[in-house]
Amino acid sequence: MTKVVIVDGDGKTCSVLIGPTGAEHRRLANKVMADALLRADLTFDDVSYVVATGYGRINVPFADRQITELTCHAKGIASLFPAVRTAIDIGGQDAKGLKIRNGKLVDFVMNDRCAAGTGRFLDVLVGTLGLRIDELGEISLKATQKLPISNVCTVFAQMEIMSWLSQGTPLPDIVAGLHDAIANRVVKMVKKLKIEPEIVFTGGVAKNIGVVQALQEYLGFKVSVPAEPLLTGALGAALMGKELTLKAIAEGKPIHEKERRLAESTFFHTENH
Amino acid sequence: MTVKEKKGLARAKELYQDRSQRAKELKAEGKKVMGYFCLYPVLEIFTAFDIVPFRILGDMGEPITKADSCLPTIVCPFIRSALDLGLKGKYDFFDGVVMCHSCEVGEKAAHIWRIYLDPAYYHFLDTPHTVHEPAQQQFKGQLEDYQKTLEAFTGKKLSAGRLQEAVATCNQQRALVRELYDLRKSDPPLISGTEIIEVMVALMSIPVNEGSELLRQIIGEVKARTDGPKKKAHRLLLWGTVIDNTALVEMIENVGANVVMDDTCVGSRAYFPLVEPTDNPLDGLSRRYLVDIKCPRTFHEAAYGDTKKDYMKDLEYRFGYLKDFAKEWNADGVILQSIRYCDIHGYDTPGLQDYLNHIGLPNIYIEHDYSEGALAPLRTRVQGFLELIG
Repeated sequence: MTKVVIVDGDGKTCSVLIGPTGAEHRRLANKVMADALLRADLTFDDVSYVVATGYGRINVPFADRQITELTCHAKGIASLFPAVRTAIDIGGQDAKGLKIRNGKLVDFVMNDRCAAGTGRFLDVLVGTLGLRIDELGEISLKATQKLPISNVCTVFAQMEIMSWLSQGTPLPDIVAGLHDAIANRVVKMVKKLKIEPEIVFTGGVAKNIGVVQALQEYLGFKVSVPAEPLLTGALGAALMGKELTLKAIAEGKPIHEKERRLAESTFFHTENH
Repeated sequence: MTVKEKKGLARAKELYQDRSQRAKELKAEGKKVMGYFCLYPVLEIFTAFDIVPFRILGDMGEPITKADSCLPTIVCPFIRSALDLGLKGKYDFFDGVVMCHSCEVGEKAAHIWRIYLDPAYYHFLDTPHTVHEPAQQQFKGQLEDYQKTLEAFTGKKLSAGRLQEAVATCNQQRALVRELYDLRKSDPPLISGTEIIEVMVALMSIPVNEGSELLRQIIGEVKARTDGPKKKAHRLLLWGTVIDNTALVEMIENVGANVVMDDTCVGSRAYFPLVEPTDNPLDGLSRRYLVDIKCPRTFHEAAYGDTKKDYMKDLEYRFGYLKDFAKEWNADGVILQSIRYCDIHGYDTPGLQDYLNHIGLPNIYIEHDYSEGALAPLRTRVQGFLELIG
């Protein structure tokens, strides 16, 4: 997923865009940007600074800087929840734990190698159940038992679900079991950071009330979820850009380190600081 | 331009890309070439017998196909790669191999190598895993046996004089490596972490005296260069398992740091400790190789039972040299890396991280698969680490 957030000089959000990235990120990053500008009624030159983050951050040729999603998420989350000390982000293909102190990232753990414990786990299994992702949360609330389902491997979990289905196990119980599996897996990973409240949960999977509850059970703490859990990374990136711009202005330095154009990318370049 | 005409860094790069070219030339001239795993097959003994020592390494770009039927997949991909190359005939130019008990998987791979490849000469050094006096004596006995089997194979008797000469030759190379590493202390360093790997791999593909000549050329070239690495926001020390390929270090050096120092066995771990000249050279050799090489495959403790007494004191004993490295080379962060499934480095990591956190040196642990393809997630971690140490 590609997300764009445009903020003004006061850090207030003026435009937001979320859309599927597709296969041609590098070539089409400019189209996504153009769309966001249209919604905000801005031109590219109105934008003082562009920060690219996320897995595809190297594919945004018109970005002024690339910053990892680790730093950007911490920034975005802290701006919404100033008291945050632990953040858990479960996205489509990875899961992260962030340790934040005084709004700054001080440590992190990541799982970006294995589908279990990420949104992909639910993506894959939802097909086996004949459900939609956005239905899972509500359905799981009707569960009457705790079903143990493998949290080690998405494929093994799929086999287990088939077995439960063939025994006539109610769907809510299975779905709740899946949420449990994800929560268990992620909490095990994040525990390496010594979890302390306030805890914020972000990422697409945070929209699932069932996972939120399972997570709270495993953590032993309540978690807060932002109104737009998919945007904290992009928000943080925009806020970092704002900071860098204001800093450059205060120091009398040029804002842009290089020339930038909003155009379709026709070449590949490697990052070389 | 014939193979021999390139000099300095260009020659090192050439050897890095085509490792066996010089060894094959020397073989054609009638010299014996022997492959070895790890660091315990003593270089001085090869040198004293005028044998070309060739360190067996893997190839990150070569998919592992044959080794999977000999070794389980859940073991060190570096050793699997090295064995795979052997099974594919890439090391057929060896006249023999000398293996050792580097680690569990290394030991198994050594025996599998012997069974499948049936080398004309094969010797296995059962290197102890502890450092106390009885272990040193044991290793010395191993070296005596090794010397005897080589004498039988080559038909030459080895005098203590020749061995002492070899000690001097190898120590000389080690001093030159130190001199080269000193050129990494400046800001920016005069030679990059990427280039260092090319140099180290080159050294491990040619005789010791030729390596020393190459080092002299490189040192001269690097001191005079104007095209060295650029200054970057961070200076890192790289600790861990075998890094015989530039891909990982190149990635790190592309995200905003210079790798200014290392503690890996294709780096300082192999070259920094010197051999003390002793009346019986095997005493000095046994001590240097078994005790002074700081690899996690060896259980280092100051005295029997010290490990159980004071945790921080034990960590200081085991890892204090890294604090000195970081200070001398002015590193502001440490990257601990290991190849997936490397138990020995994996088991040392928590203690080392505790120590580094105790002395306030930022650090991050990354694991890789010894494959060129899967570097993007590591890029995020390293870049994220650099962002958080500011």
